Amino acid sequence: MYDFIKDPTLYNLVKGPLVWIAFIVFIGGSIYRLYSFINLAKKDKTIMPFISLKYTLRSLFHWLIPFNSVNWRRRPVITITTFLFHIGLVFTPIFLLSHNILWRESWGITWWTIPEDLADIITLVVIFCCVFFFLRRILAPEVKFVTFSSDYLVLFISFAPFMTGFLAYHQLLLSHKTMVILHILFGEIMLIAIPFTRLAHMFYFFLTRSFMGSQFALWHSRDW
Amino acid sequence: MAVKEKVDNKEKIVSRDFKEYIREPNPDVGLDETIKRLTPEKIEKTIKAVIGRLSARIKAVIETCIHCGLCSEACHWYLSNDKDPTYAPVAKMRMTIWEMLKRDGKVDAEFIKQCARIVFTECNLCHRCSMYCPYGLDITFIIGMVRRICFLLGVVPQRQMDQDQAHIATLNQVWMSQNDWLDTMQWQEEEIGAEFKDLRIPIDKEGAEVMWLPLGAEPKTGTYHIERTAKIMLVAGVNWTVPGKDVWDSSNMPMFIRDLVTMQRIVRGLFENAARLRIKKLVLTE
Repeated sequence: MYDFIKDPTLYNLVKGPLVWIAFIVFIGGSIYRLYSFINLAKKDKTIMPFISLKYTLRSLFHWLIPFNSVNWRRRPVITITTFLFHIGLVFTPIFLLSHNILWRESWGITWWTIPEDLADIITLVVIFCCVFFFLRRILAPEVKFVTFSSDYLVLFISFAPFMTGFLAYHQLLLSHKTMVILHILFGEIMLIAIPFTRLAHMFYFFLTRSFMGSQFALWHSRDW
Repeated sequence: MAVKEKVDNKEKIVSRDFKEYIREPNPDVGLDETIKRLTPEKIEKTIKAVIGRLSARIKAVIETCIHCGLCSEACHWYLSNDKDPTYAPVAKMRMTIWEMLKRDGKVDAEFIKQCARIVFTECNLCHRCSMYCPYGLDITFIIGMVRRICFLLGVVPQRQMDQDQAHIATLNQVWMSQNDWLDTMQWQEEEIGAEFKDLRIPIDKEGAEVMWLPLGAEPKTGTYHIERTAKIMLVAGVNWTVPGKDVWDSSNMPMFIRDLVTMQRIVRGLFENAARLRIKKLVLTE
């Protein structure tokens, strides 16, 4: 923040105030969306009475572990890509060394980091997964039929921070500073977009699984 | 379904809204004639009344579905039609409810007819897609809601509307009066009397363990089912009964076209019969 007041450059803007805005919107927006969604669900008589913690956990157990449900086993390629993609997408930014240094510089806190080489490989994997999803949207007829421009936008929002991060780390294409500014900017866009686009499946996943898991338990049937 | 085209020497209809949706003509009075009565205002009003302010169950599907297409292999319609993408569960939502929401209910009669064809004749509400969806989204609920819209507009395949009207009038799907029902039961009891000495078909027996509720077709055309059920109950030594009053038909056809009023009348009637006779278990034919 102080850096930006002393020296109002674009770099200090994306590194200071915009990060604050992004995190406030992300956390506030997510809490608001979850709160209003659960409140809405309470109004519906057919949801809350059937929710059970036991069957929610059972459903999550089967769907959060690769190859632990019928559809994950039937589609091995998609299972591997989707798990690698999501694990990379969520955990690399948290445990990246450079991000940790930024936390330490501003707040003096640190936690575990992953080796830089490994982070590089994971980033490449995430980028290739994005390309795979993009090709699937174009080539697989059943996916192509239900693809809208918003789907490409959502894909791009998750692709851009990783691509720019990779290019910035290896100092390719644009100058290092420009690339870093783009990287931070795309990261902030992603954080802001999560609560307000279909990226909200990040937390809706747990709610919808909870509902269906409990419903199928009621019908004495499996939902995996 | 406005544009007619010759494909493979066989007449096929290409959808006006979705060029991938190609089907053979399937004339049905229930769809072709009823859409003539519709006006854009009526359609918009009905869609808004049913969808209303998005409830949590619709919202969960609309705002979570990432359009991945992983539900498609769950659908037997998709699998048995050479993996035609327009048969995939998510495609059925895309062609009906997403389009209604996108156009804010401003769709025409031709579109409603196409929706009716999709939701009534290309989906069995079997819930398998929810088993295959990574999020467990309730696609069937959405299809049911489109059925509700079509039902309120009167655009329902004739056969299904006919069954629903039978339920509305007689609370069973075969236009059987209470006299006919009781008579059939007694006649069946007499018939089996030749084979089994002690066989009874107890009607309205208070305090019985089990109440058997047949499908409409059993007393009408498949009376041998009644005979067999009675034999099974006798041999198994079950203390059972059949209701002597309406409602006894457990085939809840109105449920399938989301005629909620008649659907409730039937379920309520079945449970009231059971409560009246203090029954412990209901046994339904399937």
